[in-house]
Amino acid sequence: MKRRLPLMLTVNGEEVELFVEPHWTLLEVLRDELDLTGTKEGCGEGVCGACTVLVDGKPVRACLTLALEVSGREVITVEGLAGAEGLDPLQEAFVEHGAVQCGFCTPGMLMAAKALLLEEPAPDEERIRRAISGNICRCTGYTKIVEAIASISGPAKGNPAGGKS
Amino acid sequence: MRLPRFQYLEPKDLCEALHLLELHGEECRILAGGTDLLVRMKQRLLRPSWILSLKNLHELDYIRNEDGALCIGGRTPLARVLSSPVVAEKIPALREAVQSIGAPTIQHYRGTLGGNLCQDTRCLHHNQSAFWRSTKQPCHKAGGRICYAREGSDRCRSTHQSDAAPALMALEARVVLSRKEGTRILSLEDFYTTRGETPLAIERGEILTEIQIPLPSSGSGNAYRRIAYRSAVDFPIASAGVSVQVRKGRIQRAKIVVGSIASAPLPLAQAGACLQGRPLDDEDALERAAQVSMDHASAFAVDNVGSTVEYRIRMVSVLVKRALKEALHRAQSREDEP
Repeated sequence: MKRRLPLMLTVNGEEVELFVEPHWTLLEVLRDELDLTGTKEGCGEGVCGACTVLVDGKPVRACLTLALEVSGREVITVEGLAGAEGLDPLQEAFVEHGAVQCGFCTPGMLMAAKALLLEEPAPDEERIRRAISGNICRCTGYTKIVEAIASISGPAKGNPAGGKS
Repeated sequence: MRLPRFQYLEPKDLCEALHLLELHGEECRILAGGTDLLVRMKQRLLRPSWILSLKNLHELDYIRNEDGALCIGGRTPLARVLSSPVVAEKIPALREAVQSIGAPTIQHYRGTLGGNLCQDTRCLHHNQSAFWRSTKQPCHKAGGRICYAREGSDRCRSTHQSDAAPALMALEARVVLSRKEGTRILSLEDFYTTRGETPLAIERGEILTEIQIPLPSSGSGNAYRRIAYRSAVDFPIASAGVSVQVRKGRIQRAKIVVGSIASAPLPLAQAGACLQGRPLDDEDALERAAQVSMDHASAFAVDNVGSTVEYRIRMVSVLVKRALKEALHRAQSREDEP
């Protein structure tokens, strides 16, 4: 009954090779097999967005993606955002603006926002709100999160009033 | 939440996929984006022995113009439909519908247009965890003889909540179903059976490979409007897709389809007929069409997708009117086009 299948993928720049069961989700592989517990499981049904990761630069729900479906693809999790020089500017902005309270939604928020900024470096507030519309935060009420993302998006960068846009 | 165990099939092309599907029959489910299927499997509403993944079937990922129709491959991601200039210009109803499906983080890659059309019907009394359901006798959908949504109902009253389906039905779209022996083309009216237990006319061994949408001519307009608790993620609790044809200041033809009310999108011919031959600014005719839509919808709606059934029925008239106004506006601005 236990028939594991080979899976090769790139996670945060590193090539990973492992054997997985067909019914394992990408979320289970990241957390339980690769110990990348930054990605959270909220609802497990695709509603809350806490498990959002990037697959080839696009956001997906890791809880609703079979691990085998991303074979050969490039996955970035919240652990992959920070580089050797420290935190990603997006993470810095979250810290700066107090866009984190309990922190459970934060990895998903960061990845959804990262995907938006990769596609569109200078989104307006409506675009930002739309990009994180699939992520639920039950603490801060989104304002600070939107401000944080806006503060590092294109034209607002370096502008002290930018965060309020 | 863990998925139940299954065996995984990853065919290289459509030919192999159709062969495998025929081989494994009823025990096999098709996985496109998985945003509906995997949730149902986690809730143990479905426990297929085999999952057939479409991940390698890039041949089903396309949008092209063919003989006056826009043909969209069954596995085309919703994000690609959204970025299509032809869809934006000629079929805004489809764009509006797709835009409101899920949230960008579900749409972008995973969700597909074929998958949205093939989603199963839903009901507050059925789409629950296995534990929750274990406290009750099985309903019609689960193979029993009870309906919790309407007392005494002799059949399943679950609701089809696709956004794309009512919009596409108003546009008279067709779907291509492929099987090993060949293909057949069904109008969306025929694709949806109206039976809650088995809402789709897709048969064992078939894959929805293409959606064909006749491209609207000049003087035509279309629109889609929906209402939901949240603008993202949530399914609509009522929706309306319409398409109209105008000529010299009069409405020649109007097609009205109401969604999220019955076990299939509801095409309302009588409501559309209220508008035939009427001037564009005939508010009374609009009002009548909306009223007839509401009356017809009230015969089907049951209290099973959240909100109250009375509110959802009343919203049908509002949504039909909003969609009609927008479609007429669009038709008017396109009337002079060649």
